[in-house]
Amino acid sequence: MAEVHIIGQILSATGFPSHNLFCKWGIHAGAGWRVIEGLTDGQTHVDNPSWQDIAVWSHPIDVHFATKGVQGWPKIHLQVYHYDKFGRSEVYGYGFCYIPTSPGTHKVDVVTWRPIGTLAEQFRQHFLGGGAQLKTPDLVHNSTDRYRLQTETMGSVHLEISVILRNFAKFGVET
Amino acid sequence: MSASSGLFLLSTTGQIETAEFPGFDNIYCKYCYMYGLDWVVTAGLEEGISQVGRCSNDERRIFVWNFPLEITFKSTNPFGWPQLIISCYGLDTFGNDVVRGYGVCHLPVSAGQHFKTIPMFVPESTSLLQKMTAWLTGRRPEYVDPRVLAQGEGREVTRVRSQGNVKVSFNIVTKDLQSLGYQNSPNMTTVTSVGALSSHMDNLNIE
Repeated sequence: MAEVHIIGQILSATGFPSHNLFCKWGIHAGAGWRVIEGLTDGQTHVDNPSWQDIAVWSHPIDVHFATKGVQGWPKIHLQVYHYDKFGRSEVYGYGFCYIPTSPGTHKVDVVTWRPIGTLAEQFRQHFLGGGAQLKTPDLVHNSTDRYRLQTETMGSVHLEISVILRNFAKFGVET
Repeated sequence: MSASSGLFLLSTTGQIETAEFPGFDNIYCKYCYMYGLDWVVTAGLEEGISQVGRCSNDERRIFVWNFPLEITFKSTNPFGWPQLIISCYGLDTFGNDVVRGYGVCHLPVSAGQHFKTIPMFVPESTSLLQKMTAWLTGRRPEYVDPRVLAQGEGREVTRVRSQGNVKVSFNIVTKDLQSLGYQNSPNMTTVTSVGALSSHMDNLNIE
């Protein structure tokens, strides 16, 4: 069995309309993959920056996978939430990216989007907050059933991912 | 110590170079490491406290610590890769030690020279009452053990305010990672394939 270590951080986020952001994340892999150790999902703290226009999370990721093949290569999906002054959280963005397949350290920027509702819902959202969110978050990393969604651009999340592979070369897999 | 025992070594030299903390004058930093159960420190210091640095008297306003880091780990498993945790403290007007920032980063996984800018943040009170008492007593919230920052769990309850950053440089040397079948940097011929090549050569010689 080949092994993959994913070591890194969810560093920060930029380009979102306001501060007080946090992020829920998860790593999803195909059926041939097995998690040996490590957390595959979690939630960051809420950051309210003093002066920078960047939300700092520095959230560690360390997962050890064993796999029989390269199909279903792991991907990380992110949900960025805004924590407002009344203690409510609203969705500010969905995004995903594949874990890079080559070993070494990679800086990855994940672009995000969020669904928009009807005109009446947008009006409501403008004054009351909240807004549309996905009923099935699987949509974030699946290519099916996306076509009926109306979405808008949100900011991007910055990741630093180091990949360590084991025994891929032994099986003739070139990464 | 050979690859047959399944051990590999990770050696780090480097320094905590500089920091930026606009609005503060005197700051010192502490560092410690957090690593998985399979990891053991074989040489070097696991913790340290720097001098109190005053920021430069120009528009850069940077703090220079030039503080050495030198540590060697051994492990059988890259899981739990060591993380460097930096906490910065300064004195307030009453002479109390106040935390100015926590930051965390993984040690680089591939050999070579690396520079990292670690963003810093401080935890914040969650309720108005706590904010009031913190302001009155001058005791700002801080982490009892900053090692929680290196864990993925339990972070969702904390609220932080980010301020400033610290620049760190690393020189990484690894031993026996490749002979154990690990690839930790791009486009690397692993020892497995070199071994295969040498066995071919042996065959050639015999023929």
